[in-house]
Amino acid sequence: MSNNKLFGLIFCLMFSAGSAQADEAQLKRGAHVAVEVCNTCHSLKYLKYSDFLKLGFSKAEVDAMRGTKGMADPLISQMAPADELAMFSTVPPDLSLMAKARDGGANYIYAMITGFYTDAKGQTANHVFPGIKMPDVFMIAQADAAGRQGIEQKARDVSAFLEWASDPQAEERKTLGRYVIGYFVFLTVLLYFLKKKIWKRLD
Amino acid sequence: MNKIIAWVDQRFPLTFFIKHELTDYPTPRNLSYWWGFGFLAGFVLVIQIVTGIFLAMHYKPDSNLAFDSVQHIMREVNYGWLIRYLHSTGASAFFAVIYTHMARTLYYGSYRRPRELLWWTGQGLLLLMMATAFMGYLLPWGQMSYWGATVITNLFKATPVYGDQIVTWLRGGFAVDDPTLTRFFSLHYLFPFLIFAAVAIHLVALHTVRSSNPSGINLADKDNIPFHPYFTIKDLFGLGIFMIVYLLIVFFKPDLFIDAANNIPANPMQTPADIVPEWYFLPFYAILRSVPDLAGGVVAMAISVLIFAAMPYLDRSRVTGGARYRPIYRAMFYIFVIDIFVLGYVGAHPPAGTLKMVGEVCTAIYFLTFLLLPFVSRWEEKFVLARGLPPAVEAMARKEIAEAEGNV
Repeated sequence: MSNNKLFGLIFCLMFSAGSAQADEAQLKRGAHVAVEVCNTCHSLKYLKYSDFLKLGFSKAEVDAMRGTKGMADPLISQMAPADELAMFSTVPPDLSLMAKARDGGANYIYAMITGFYTDAKGQTANHVFPGIKMPDVFMIAQADAAGRQGIEQKARDVSAFLEWASDPQAEERKTLGRYVIGYFVFLTVLLYFLKKKIWKRLD
Repeated sequence: MNKIIAWVDQRFPLTFFIKHELTDYPTPRNLSYWWGFGFLAGFVLVIQIVTGIFLAMHYKPDSNLAFDSVQHIMREVNYGWLIRYLHSTGASAFFAVIYTHMARTLYYGSYRRPRELLWWTGQGLLLLMMATAFMGYLLPWGQMSYWGATVITNLFKATPVYGDQIVTWLRGGFAVDDPTLTRFFSLHYLFPFLIFAAVAIHLVALHTVRSSNPSGINLADKDNIPFHPYFTIKDLFGLGIFMIVYLLIVFFKPDLFIDAANNIPANPMQTPADIVPEWYFLPFYAILRSVPDLAGGVVAMAISVLIFAAMPYLDRSRVTGGARYRPIYRAMFYIFVIDIFVLGYVGAHPPAGTLKMVGEVCTAIYFLTFLLLPFVSRWEEKFVLARGLPPAVEAMARKEIAEAEGNV
């Protein structure tokens, strides 16, 4: 492979990598679902209320979300773990890293939330997570077509939000990465010509 | 400046050292980029040590705090995510570079006389590296960390008589727990410096026997060129290419080598569906699981790593240049490489049905390659000598054969 082709390939990789980005409006909608629904039972302990400012929420909006909790407080579940254990016979897992902790990431979360159905015995079951102890919070198993659409949208939003929550630095990382890779491509091209120049002395 | 250097030179061989090891150090001019991987390995070692030192400033080796402290590094420490991803990706980069370095040695027969000690110090480095990586993997205290350490320390149960005591002693308790974490952290910090010292020994051995080269013959003086500036610049260009690939992963695919299950905190009460080691241990793990008996599997796995040390004696051909002039050795090399990749795939999946059988066959091929080599290499030597070789290569081979027969 010629060097030009190689560098072309690297440039392509550089600018295509990590292009799929959830838009800010979706992340905000997802944040509302997470705080108002998920956070009832699940903690997101690696997130602080102040982190919502990074999503573009105003301070007033965050104040409304946090209620009596402090700006620097982590998102701990509304229910006490002991009550949860009594109610669900398990403590719901923390969600801050959920999008990284399952193969499939956000897609897994979406499939799980929308995966509830009513089985032959008339009980609620889940396609993705058989034996799940979480109730069908959006009641998708009973929803009609129109209701389903709304729930699927909510599931998409909250999945996108949880992906952001699992890796809030992703945007910064990719931006910095473009500069760093660009720098190294430039440096490597220079080193290539310098190498050619130095080795010419042997001719 | 010159005065200062002269002052130092009277007391320490600085100028001599620079001349002897760099500006005058004779290096075969025909070394390809495959010879640059040793330098890359050294560079990655430095990356790992530097990033590791900074991680240790923020990490907490306590089973109740370890997992959270990694998230603290990822989210709250300035550029903590960068330091951590450089380190976690660096571990994989280190193994990728070292395995390539070893493959080059095997392909070109660089382990042959007089480079046996150079090869053995490299083998020692590989063992140190594996131990360091294994202990480092426990530190994030995720599910895979915990259960990986549990499975691997359990292997020492195969030790005759004292098996259980040794496992308890390694873990500092009856199960992997806080004492295991603290001792692994301590040793994970120590070992890189042992590696650093072992690299120095590796380099002393290298500079005694000098680099092998792809032609297989000892080059005339005119074909040796000073290491600096020719190979410093060649290695630096290679480093540039390496850094681009490495940093693409660090910045754009940093979770590539992190198992999803390791983002779940360690839970001694719940075994993950499938315990999979890091990719660089997979072929050896597949060998371990392909032998039905625990002790047998452990011995097979240990031999599969250590057997490389025997290469100078298993390969009995006197034809130099490694695989280049040896069609059968070359075929064996490629079969072996493919075999390792298949073993890696097998190691990543639960051993059942066909895959279990594939693992067993590949394990057999792995060991047969080494077992057949002494016979195949002698037979091949006769074959290629009869078929004809480049005069310089043939002369070297005949000289070595004559020397060996003179000794008999």
